Amino acid sequence: MFGYIVPEKPEMKIKEYELFRAYYCGVCCSIGKRHGQLKRLTLNYDSAFLAVLLSAIAEEQIDVRIKRCAVHPFQKRHIISGSPIVDYASDINIILAYYNLEDKQRDEASFVSSAGLVMLRKDFRRLREQYRDKCEVIERQLDELMRLEKEKCPSMDMAAEPFARLMEEITAYKPVCTDSGREEILRWIGYNLGKWIYLMDAFDDIEKDIKNQNYNPLICQFRYENQDVSEFRQQIRSKVEFTLIYSLNEISKAFELLDIKANKGILENIIYMGMLRKTENTLGIRRCSEVEKSV
Amino acid sequence: MKLKNPYEVLGIREGASEDEIKAAYRELVKKYHPDQYQNNPLAKLAEEKLREINEAYDYLMKNASARNNAQAGGSRSYDGRGWNRNDGNDFFSQVKSHINSGNIKLAEDMLDSAGRRPAEWYYLKGLIFMRKGWYDEAYNHLQRAVNMDPSNYEYRSALDRMTVSYNTYRGNSYRRGFTKNENDLCTFCQWLWCADCLCECAGGDLIKCC
Repeated sequence: MFGYIVPEKPEMKIKEYELFRAYYCGVCCSIGKRHGQLKRLTLNYDSAFLAVLLSAIAEEQIDVRIKRCAVHPFQKRHIISGSPIVDYASDINIILAYYNLEDKQRDEASFVSSAGLVMLRKDFRRLREQYRDKCEVIERQLDELMRLEKEKCPSMDMAAEPFARLMEEITAYKPVCTDSGREEILRWIGYNLGKWIYLMDAFDDIEKDIKNQNYNPLICQFRYENQDVSEFRQQIRSKVEFTLIYSLNEISKAFELLDIKANKGILENIIYMGMLRKTENTLGIRRCSEVEKSV
Repeated sequence: MKLKNPYEVLGIREGASEDEIKAAYRELVKKYHPDQYQNNPLAKLAEEKLREINEAYDYLMKNASARNNAQAGGSRSYDGRGWNRNDGNDFFSQVKSHINSGNIKLAEDMLDSAGRRPAEWYYLKGLIFMRKGWYDEAYNHLQRAVNMDPSNYEYRSALDRMTVSYNTYRGNSYRRGFTKNENDLCTFCQWLWCADCLCECAGGDLIKCC
């Protein structure tokens, strides 16, 4: 995952912010405790969101402790501990980090990615046994993604499909799916999350991919032909924005159908504001620099 | 299925007044209206939710009127039906009924095997894409259907609905307090600078150092 799913901090209540951070720290500590301290480097916000979302519909009593941790030795923090959902989010974090490194290694071998792979290999093998079904789906989708990339797929929808399916699989965490309706909703949230993340990343990488002549669905679909990069981004912006916002709308509609028992404020903040802010910033809508020019 | 607390379903406190119940009910019907979930894989669940809301509303209104021993009316709830009934026999209406019953794979296979591609083909393909979550393709196909047959109300309204959905989300964000990127520190500094200039023009000074 990429860490695009963030809260809109200025609009958060302080208690919500503290709780969100307790989840974030919870995932981090769970990684440290169960997989080893070094692996905490792989942590990102998306995993924290996953924990907050799944925890919101589970009937579980969360246990918030105040303690120190290795990363913040001088400050005591709120940390959620002993939650199976937080543990799940941390496992997924490790699994995806491993696949991500594997992908990087395939593109261009570097010291960092090979060192990371060596570091994570043992944990990954163990987790792969534990989550065999999920990992099989993930691997199938990643193979599909690789095939589409090789073919230089010229459709953003088609190219985003494998990653969207991957996220769908991750979000559908069986123990909280007490009925089929709930699973369906979670799957739809996951699908659209994945789509949004994939396309955000694609838009972010346009410049880099043009320079390195790597595959990028947006470059292929909108036929980049040596024009100015920022001009190209400008041209395709409204098209990409439409799909991104539409995905967010689907996430919000599915979210409204969930029977939320906790964390409502945090989730609303992220879904309605944090992700929209991230979208606008990535697309470069009403950026500071543009405002400055007009003065 | 266990019976839910009707107040909880409507998201109001217990013992809320009739006006509060009505207001909450209206808000929720708007939120879960079938129009909002048309061509959405979760349409059935939204319908269920609406039914739950209706039941809660009916229950509360019945009790309220029993309490007040009068006041009829107001307990008519919205049933969210009355759209897309189609029972033709030809190829496209078959595809359409597959889409409506959620059999997307079959509908798509049928369409792909069709030799003829009139406006309706693009319209139905657009609906399928929407169900699958392929919004860019959906929009392009609906747009194409509208271009091929501009007088068709059905195609146009499907396209319009996509644009409306897009705007609904932003509307919801702004209502929750989302502010556009303009209101950041950068603009604040500009205002400060502007105010400083104006003060200097008037002979005073707001920021001493510049």
